[in-house]
Amino acid sequence: MSSILQNLVNKPYEHGFVTDIESDTAAKGLSEATIRMISAKKNEPAWLLEFRLKAYAHWLTMTPPAWANVHYPPVDFQAISYYSAPKPKKKLASMDEVDPELLKTFEKLGVPMNERAKLAGVAVDVIFDSVSVATTYKAKLAEVGIIFCSISEAVHEHPELIQKYLGSVVPVGDNFYAALNSAVFTDGSFCFIPKGVKCPMDLSTYFRINTESSGQFERTLIIAEDGASVSYLEGCTAPKFDSNQLHAAVVELVALDNADIKYSTVQNWYAGDENGVGGIYNFVTKRGLCKGVNSRISWTQVETGSAITWKYPSCVLRGENSVGEFYSVALTNHHQQADTGTKMIHIGKNTRSKIVSKGISAGVSSNSYRGLVRIAPTAAGARNYSQCDSMLIGDKCSANTFPYIDVRNPGAQVEHEASTSKIGEDQLFYFAQRGIGAEEAVSMIINGFCKDVFQQLPMEFAVEATKLLGVKLEGSVG
Amino acid sequence: MMQVANNSYLAGLLEGRPFADRGDALNRLRAGAVERVGVLSLPSTRDEDWRFTDLAPLTKMCFQPYRGVPAIVESDIARYSIAESAQRLVFVDGVYAPQLSSPLNGGIVVSSLAAALPAHAAAIVADLGRRALFDNNAFTALNTAFLNDGALVLLPRNAALDTPVHLLFVATRKEAAAHPRCLVLAGAGSRATVIEEYVALTEDAYLTNAVGEFVLADDAQLTHVRVQRESRQAFHIGHSAVALAHGSRYHGIHAGFGARLSRFNLDVVQNAEGAECEIGGLAIIDGSQLADTHSSIDHARAHGVSRQQHKCIVGGSARAVFNGRIVVRQGAQLTNSAQSSRNLLLSERARVDTKPQLEIFADDVKCAHGATVGQLDADEVFYLKSRGLSESVARSLLTYAFGAEILHAIPVASLRDRLEKMLLAQTERA
Repeated sequence: MSSILQNLVNKPYEHGFVTDIESDTAAKGLSEATIRMISAKKNEPAWLLEFRLKAYAHWLTMTPPAWANVHYPPVDFQAISYYSAPKPKKKLASMDEVDPELLKTFEKLGVPMNERAKLAGVAVDVIFDSVSVATTYKAKLAEVGIIFCSISEAVHEHPELIQKYLGSVVPVGDNFYAALNSAVFTDGSFCFIPKGVKCPMDLSTYFRINTESSGQFERTLIIAEDGASVSYLEGCTAPKFDSNQLHAAVVELVALDNADIKYSTVQNWYAGDENGVGGIYNFVTKRGLCKGVNSRISWTQVETGSAITWKYPSCVLRGENSVGEFYSVALTNHHQQADTGTKMIHIGKNTRSKIVSKGISAGVSSNSYRGLVRIAPTAAGARNYSQCDSMLIGDKCSANTFPYIDVRNPGAQVEHEASTSKIGEDQLFYFAQRGIGAEEAVSMIINGFCKDVFQQLPMEFAVEATKLLGVKLEGSVG
Repeated sequence: MMQVANNSYLAGLLEGRPFADRGDALNRLRAGAVERVGVLSLPSTRDEDWRFTDLAPLTKMCFQPYRGVPAIVESDIARYSIAESAQRLVFVDGVYAPQLSSPLNGGIVVSSLAAALPAHAAAIVADLGRRALFDNNAFTALNTAFLNDGALVLLPRNAALDTPVHLLFVATRKEAAAHPRCLVLAGAGSRATVIEEYVALTEDAYLTNAVGEFVLADDAQLTHVRVQRESRQAFHIGHSAVALAHGSRYHGIHAGFGARLSRFNLDVVQNAEGAECEIGGLAIIDGSQLADTHSSIDHARAHGVSRQQHKCIVGGSARAVFNGRIVVRQGAQLTNSAQSSRNLLLSERARVDTKPQLEIFADDVKCAHGATVGQLDADEVFYLKSRGLSESVARSLLTYAFGAEILHAIPVASLRDRLEKMLLAQTERA
């Protein structure tokens, strides 16, 4: 590719790697005693301890998955501290103390002023009273009967719901990292939308004060009862600093009759430097169960961070006429590796699923789409449409697709399409003719490429995500 | 425990292999393969490459190679003869049958490998066993361990063979294990059509473990028709390895009708710039048949072109598996590759597993793949019914048309007609 383009990317990650967790931390290592200790510290009921121990027993019999197209040195699970009580981070007195580089990034991303303060770790009450905002929101939610709190809180306040649904979508022995998470998770979010309630606002982790440091083994459980609907946003576009290298989260969604859950993620964790040193291993199990008729679960993700991403948000379509959707943009640069995709398991009649995956690889990164569409013999009239497009920027990166299609019902209709392309010289020339510089042109082309996914994001997220891709590719378009 | 059982099964299959009795050029190759069989284990569904194809039914039976003299006559195989073909080589249960064959020994060689070995040792040894690699393929290793004869087609530079070569492999014996081998060496600028056909005169169970190597030099053109019509009880394991040099063109049409369990591995490597391959695959199965096709097209150099279309028609409680891998190596710029996997399910219990797989390491390429699984389009059926066709005729016509698209590319009229009739008969039965 042209030299103009060569100059456009490869800007270092501007904010370094911040380690600022000072806390009541357990000794390294994992054993039954560690799990009992976590459970005791959190004052958990006996059934939860049992759940953890069962998961641990499973985990001991399992080996880390080796089938993904990612390469990394083996993780020493005994070198990790599994409990660390979050202590409030040191607050900065005002915006003036914030790293100017960080502010520049916020500027680029167009993060709203009030959120910038919170993200930068400025004591929020100085600038922006988030507590009162959060309280207002909580009151508003409680009015309609929505429960939105940390999972530890829910264990004590709503044990019947947790006991009923925890592990019902991702069983304790589901996979290596899910088992590990089930054994040692320390916190996460819980959300319950009662029958017939449409959540009045997008639930976002931004305004959740109770799970600010939910740790590396995060657990999320969202339940939408009959006819309920909710849109949940996780993560944010601003770079996230974390000292934990291994992240193994589990997210479970349950949609009952006519319920609708939309789960959006923007992930921009530290990806390591341009030589591939450091960076987060993001090994996540996300699964939604469309349990009831006409239910719908939609996953949207924009994955731009982490050294390694291993993530397959899935839908089990059990209810008749239920719908599963997956929209994904995965961008890898430098030495990042992503093996991500989805599983659509059609069990009920007339279930429908749609997969739109856009992979962009630059630098020497590797970007794989891995997906499964399974039509069970019971899923008469099932329908799937998958589209997986890849874009390569530079000739040292790779883009792979591994779509598994397994059909056991003749009434089903399954379609899969994939293509690979690059940004053409002629496209850039066309932009140049119209007075648009290469950098902006590339950004526009990429955003056009990802349009189908961005359209699914809540508006303010979409605007930020668009800019995020531009920032991530700075200096790497070649 | 399982491993031990598997290995002893493989070791059992090694029995009756030829020994180093003639001091010939193939001893080393065979010895290497025997050693490899000892190391490898029989694949199980825990292996990613075999996860949909369970070899357990195979391991429940014993197969022994047949080493006697072929006991069939011309009239037994008359119905398989191809009028257009002037050269035919017949192998019965893996053994060359000279009385049924019409070899050619001039500049162009169409001959049994063993017979041609003394005169063409250098050319043969240079490629034999070097294209169909057996390091990780127990069946190819097994075939190579048995390698002492096979079909050889040798085309010198710029030679053109106007009539198709017919390589006919006939199975006649219950519980026989045949390890047929083909070697086609197409010299620079040469042209030929080779038909590799597997048929059966028995309805019993037997094992065919075939390996073919097709080496195309610069600008050579080869049309390769591979027809698998084994008995419905047979096990058929096939491996075709194609190596393409600069500007060469391989056109493959691979049709599978028979066998209880069939597995076909196709490996195409574009070793030089500007190579092209066009591949059509068709599997028509019903009852409890299983047809598994694993293809790999490796664009190792720039300016390569590949087009692949694989179709499966699956009835009864049969199962079709397709894994199509396309690799574009670093530096293989301006590759243009298109792949499609289309599957038609005709019954409630039929099953398809398809995985079109792209691995791309170059940025200036055009690659697309698509996969569909479904049943006949209701609108199309309605259209034909509105023209006065009955439901069943309309369905069989559409099913036939679905498969005929692949068979239509066969350049040998009599074979094409014969296979289209088989397809029609099968669709009517379904």
